[in-house]
Amino acid sequence: MKYRIKHITEYLYAGRVSHCYNLAHLIPRDSQRQKRIKNNVRVQPFATYSSKREDYFGNLAFHFEIQKPHNKLVITSTSEVNTETQRGEISLDLGITYSEALQLLATRKDTEILLAREFLYDSPLIKYFPALKEYAAPSFAPNQTLLSGAMDLTKRIYEDFAYSPAATTVSTPLEKVMETKRGVCQDFAHLQIGCMRAMGIPAKYVSGYLETLPAPGQERLVGADASHAWLSVFSPTEGWMEFDPTNNCVAHEQHVITAWGRDYSDVTPLRGVIFGGGENPILNISVDVARI
Amino acid sequence: MSQQPAPIATSDATLSYTPEPGSFDEVHTPDGQLKPHWQHLLESFQSIGKEALTDRQTKALRILRDDGATYNMYSEAHNSPNLTWGLDLVPAVVVPGLLERAEVLNLLLKDIYGPRDLLRNGVIPPEALYCHAGFLRACHGVMLPGEHQLILHGVDLMRGPDGDMRVLTDRSQSPSGAGYALENRTVMSRIFPSLYRDSQVHRLATFFQRLRTKLTSMAPNQDQPRAVVLTPGAHNESYFEHAYISNYLGLHLVQSGDLVVRNGYVWMKSLEGLNRVDVILRRVDDWYCDPVELRSDSVLGVANLLEVVRAGRVVIVNPLGSGIIESPVFLRYMPDIAKALLGRDLRIKSVETHWCGNNQDRDYILANLDKLVIKPTYRGNGENSVLARTLDDEGKAALISKIQKSPYQYVAQPELNAGHLPTYVDEQLVPRPSILRTFALASDASYTLMPGGLTRVAMEQSAFIISNQAGSQSKDTWVLASEPERVSAKRQDESLSQPLREAELISLPSRVVENLFWMGRYAERAEASLRILRTVFMILNGEESITEECKRVLLKTVTEVSSTQPGFVGDGNGDNKNIFDAPEKELLLVLKDPKRVGSVCSNLNAMLFCADQSKELLSSDTLRVINDIRDALLELEPALSIGLTSAPEEALDPLVTALMALAGLAQESMVRDVGWRFMEIGRRLERGIQTSAMIKSLLVPHLQEPAQDTLVQAMLLSLEGLISYRRRYRAAINVESALDLVMLDTNNPRSLLFQIMQLSQHVEALPKPPTQENQLSPEARAILEAETAVKLSRLNELSLQEQGQRQNLQKKLSRITKLLGTASNVLSDKYFQHREASRQLVRNTWESKR
Repeated sequence: MKYRIKHITEYLYAGRVSHCYNLAHLIPRDSQRQKRIKNNVRVQPFATYSSKREDYFGNLAFHFEIQKPHNKLVITSTSEVNTETQRGEISLDLGITYSEALQLLATRKDTEILLAREFLYDSPLIKYFPALKEYAAPSFAPNQTLLSGAMDLTKRIYEDFAYSPAATTVSTPLEKVMETKRGVCQDFAHLQIGCMRAMGIPAKYVSGYLETLPAPGQERLVGADASHAWLSVFSPTEGWMEFDPTNNCVAHEQHVITAWGRDYSDVTPLRGVIFGGGENPILNISVDVARI
Repeated sequence: MSQQPAPIATSDATLSYTPEPGSFDEVHTPDGQLKPHWQHLLESFQSIGKEALTDRQTKALRILRDDGATYNMYSEAHNSPNLTWGLDLVPAVVVPGLLERAEVLNLLLKDIYGPRDLLRNGVIPPEALYCHAGFLRACHGVMLPGEHQLILHGVDLMRGPDGDMRVLTDRSQSPSGAGYALENRTVMSRIFPSLYRDSQVHRLATFFQRLRTKLTSMAPNQDQPRAVVLTPGAHNESYFEHAYISNYLGLHLVQSGDLVVRNGYVWMKSLEGLNRVDVILRRVDDWYCDPVELRSDSVLGVANLLEVVRAGRVVIVNPLGSGIIESPVFLRYMPDIAKALLGRDLRIKSVETHWCGNNQDRDYILANLDKLVIKPTYRGNGENSVLARTLDDEGKAALISKIQKSPYQYVAQPELNAGHLPTYVDEQLVPRPSILRTFALASDASYTLMPGGLTRVAMEQSAFIISNQAGSQSKDTWVLASEPERVSAKRQDESLSQPLREAELISLPSRVVENLFWMGRYAERAEASLRILRTVFMILNGEESITEECKRVLLKTVTEVSSTQPGFVGDGNGDNKNIFDAPEKELLLVLKDPKRVGSVCSNLNAMLFCADQSKELLSSDTLRVINDIRDALLELEPALSIGLTSAPEEALDPLVTALMALAGLAQESMVRDVGWRFMEIGRRLERGIQTSAMIKSLLVPHLQEPAQDTLVQAMLLSLEGLISYRRRYRAAINVESALDLVMLDTNNPRSLLFQIMQLSQHVEALPKPPTQENQLSPEARAILEAETAVKLSRLNELSLQEQGQRQNLQKKLSRITKLLGTASNVLSDKYFQHREASRQLVRNTWESKR
C-alpha cells in the first residue's frame, strides 16, 4: 500500500522562546516491509541549523536549531511510503514453541539472537515488576508456539484494558497502567513489551501511524488520524513480528512505521531544550494518513 | 615471603621501617632483602630524622594549602570545609609497563561505538553493553579521526599478595588525578630538593607538554585552534585539579554556561563576543554533556554538543560515551578481549573479577560471598562497593536479593590486601596498603605513559577502600631514570612557549570576568564595613566620653555603610532604643553573622566564592592571601568571644591587613588584561559608593563641638586620612578641609574623586564593539557626570548647614551614588552574560536513575 503522511506538530508558548535545539523522530524509516519513497521536514520559524542522520537503531533522527525568537513552533513532516503486510501474514501457529525459544535465546550465539537481547531487559520506561509476569504467564504454555502466545497476550490486553486518553500521560508509570487497566496505545505497547520481557522474550517499541478508515457512508476526515504505537516481538527462528494490542491484531499494511527502540524514550517524536517560553506550552498535533 | 625481613637499623632507631608480615611489601624482595632504590630513599629519611621530617610535613601542608589544593568532600553539611589534599612525604616508586592495555581499551572503545564485532562474535556477552548505563546509544558511530578514540587513560594498579601488579580499575571517562600528581611532585621537589635530584626521578612536565600538544593537534580547525577545559564548577570534588591543569596547560577553564552551540559550532562567550572552541578537555561525565540527546535535565552540559561532535567540528577528550570502558565487567572478559583485538593476552593482569551476569560466576559469588567485595558495574548511581563479610544477616540477604534481581549490575572481586608502602604516620614509618593511579596518553601510533602517577595509601593498616572520598593520603610517585635526565631538555612543544595571541588575552569567559568584578566589589564592601566598625569600636571604648547624639550618628553610619537590616535606624528613641543603648550585640552581628546580608562575614564569603570561581587567574601569592582571609575569618569568632571590653578593634586588624594585601597584589601581580580591569572597576565603584555613604552619614548631620570634631575624626580615620590631614593642616579639625581631603584631593587614593577618575580610565580601556559611534556610552556618560559633579563642588557650599543638616552635601553625594549605581548596572548588562534558564521541551521523569 502506498501512503502519503502529513504530520504537523505545533507548540504554542506562553512566553517568547529566544532559542531552541531539538531532536525529532518524525521521518518514517525503512524496514523489511516498508520503504520510504520521499520525505520533507519543514520547520517554522526557519531553522538556522538542521541535519538528518540514522541513529543507533537505524531510525532517522532530525536535528534542528532555531535562533530566531518565536512564540510558535511548527514542524511539518510530509512523507510517502510503501508498506506491505508482514511476510505474507505467516501463520502464528507454526514455528517454535515458547520453551524452545527460551532455550535458543539462552544458548545460541547467532548474531541476530545476540543483538535481539538488547530488547530483553529493563529500559528507561519499562522496568520489571512481578505483576507483569503474573499477568503474562497464562498466555505462554511451554508447548504452545511463541507467536500464538504473543497474539493471545495481545488479545487479552485488548480485552482487559480500556482505551482512555485522559487516564495517562507520557510519564505515567507502567505499574499504574497495570493497576487501573486504562491507557492509550503507547501504554499498551509498553505493557505488552514489559510482559514479553518478563517472560524472557525480547520485544521492542514501534512508533508510527495507523491508517483509519471512515465509518461506512462517511467522508474520511483529514487530520483526524493520530500517531500510533505498537510492539515487535522476537522469535529466534522467525525473527521480529509486530503486534498491536490497541487493535487486537498483528500489524498490517495500514501500520506505517516511524521508528523503533527499547521504548518511547528512544523514539520520542520531539525532544529538546528551549530558552524562555514560559510555563505550559500548548501542543497541537495533526496527522493525516492518505492512500495514494 | 618465607622470611621476616629485618628492620632497617640506623642511627636513628625511631625511624626504622618494619613491614607487616604476610603482606606484600614494596620495599623488600620476597626473600627479605631491601630493594636498592628503596635503600637510598629510606636512608635519606633516616638521616633527615624525625623532627625535621615532621617539620617538612607541616611545610608541605602549608604549600598545598597555599596552592589551594583541595579535594572537596561531599557531605550533608553545606559549610563543610574543603579538605586540603593529603600528601604523605614518603614517595612511592614504580616501574612502568601499561601501554598495551591502553591500546586494547582504545580498540575496545572503537568497537563498542562502531561495528560491535566483539558482541556479534560472542567475545563479550550482549548484557555487558546493553545492561550498562554507561553505554550511550546516542554516541554510536561518533568517531575521532585517526587511530585513537581513547586519548587519556587512567588506570588503578595494586600489587597483589603474590607480588604481581594488577589492574584494579580503568578510568576512561575523564580520568582525574594527573593534576594532583603534578602538584605532589611540585611540593616534594620543594621539600626534598636534594633527595629528589639525587634519586634521578623522571620529570612529569614532559607528559603535560605532550597532552597540550595532543589536544591542539586534534583540533578540526588548525588555524589558531582553541582548546578549553570544561568543569562542572567550583563545587566539584576535584575542582582544584581542573583549575590547576587548565592553568598549567594554558587553556581556558569553562563551565556549562560559558559555552554555546550556534550554527553547528561550539563557542565560548567572552566579553567581545563568541569565540570558536575546537577542543574540549572535559571533566564533566559524558551522560551530563548534552541535555538535548543525553541527560535532558543536565545543567552541566551544552545543548546540542553531541551534534557538533558528530559533524566533526569539535573534539571532546575523552570522547562522549567512553565511560563504558570503566565497567568492571570488561576486567572479567579482558583476556578474551585482548586475544580478539591484539592476538595475545595482556602482560599485566586484572584483579580477579566475577560477574553476577554470568551464571557460573554468580554461583561462585553466592557460594563465596564472605570472601568477596561486591561492586556495582556503573558508578553513576552513587552505590558503593560492599565487603560482604561485614554485613549482618539482614544486610547479606538484601545484597543477595539485589544481585538476583539485577545480576548484570554487579561484579565481585576478592577482598585484596594491597601491597604495602612505608608511610609517615604519627612520626613513624609504617607499612600501609597502597594503590597507584597512572596515566597513558595517546601519542603517534601508541601511547605514552606518565612517568609517575598518584599513589594513594590508606591511613589504616587494613583498609579495603582506598579513595580520597574515604580520606586516604596520597604520595608522589617516582619512576627512576637509569641516568640523570638532562636538565636542558628542550621543550618539545614550541607552541607552549609561543606568546598567546592578543585576542586570547582578552577573550576570558565572561563569567570569569563577572566574578572578578564582584570579587573587587565584595572585597571593598567588606573593607569599608570593617573600617567603620573598627573606628566605632575605638571611639565607643575610648577614654573620651562622647555625647549620645554623636554615638547615634556613629552607629547609624555602621548600618548605612554595611546596608544591614534591621540595624541602627531612626532617632534612637523608638522601639529600637535598646540597641542604641547597648549596641555591642548588633555590632558583632554586623561583623560576623554569615546569615545577615551585608555583614562583613557574608561579604567576605561572597568574595571568597568569586575568588574560587576565577581561581585559575589568580597568582599563587594571591591564593595565599585568600587563604589568609579565610583563616582570619575563622579566627574572628574566638578572638571576639572574649568580649568587647578587650579592644575588639584589634581583632579586625588581621582582616583589614589581608584585604589590603589582596588589593596590593592585584596592583602588583595581575596582568593588565580585561579581567584585572573589571576587578578594578568593581573596586572603584564600590569604594566610591561606600565613601559617599560614609561621608554622608557622618557629615550631613551638623553637631555641636566637640561631637562634630569626633565625627570628622571618625570619618578621617575610617577613610585612612587622619594622618595626612594632621600633617597637612596641623590645625584643629574642620569640616571644610576634611571634605577637601576625602572628596576632592586627587592625590589621596581614597578620595571620592580619585575613585571616579580611575573608573573613567578603566571604562575607557574596555573592549568596544567595532561600530562605536562618537557618542558617549551610557556608562561613560554616568561616570563623566559624577566626575564633573565632584569637581564642580564648592567646599563652603557643601559644608553649609541649615537646621542641623548639610543639605547641599546630602544632595551632591546622593546624586553621585545614583550615578555610580547606574554605571554599574549598565556595565553589567552590557558585558556579562545573563544566562537565560533553559528547560526541556518535554519534561521526562525516566532519567533520574539509570
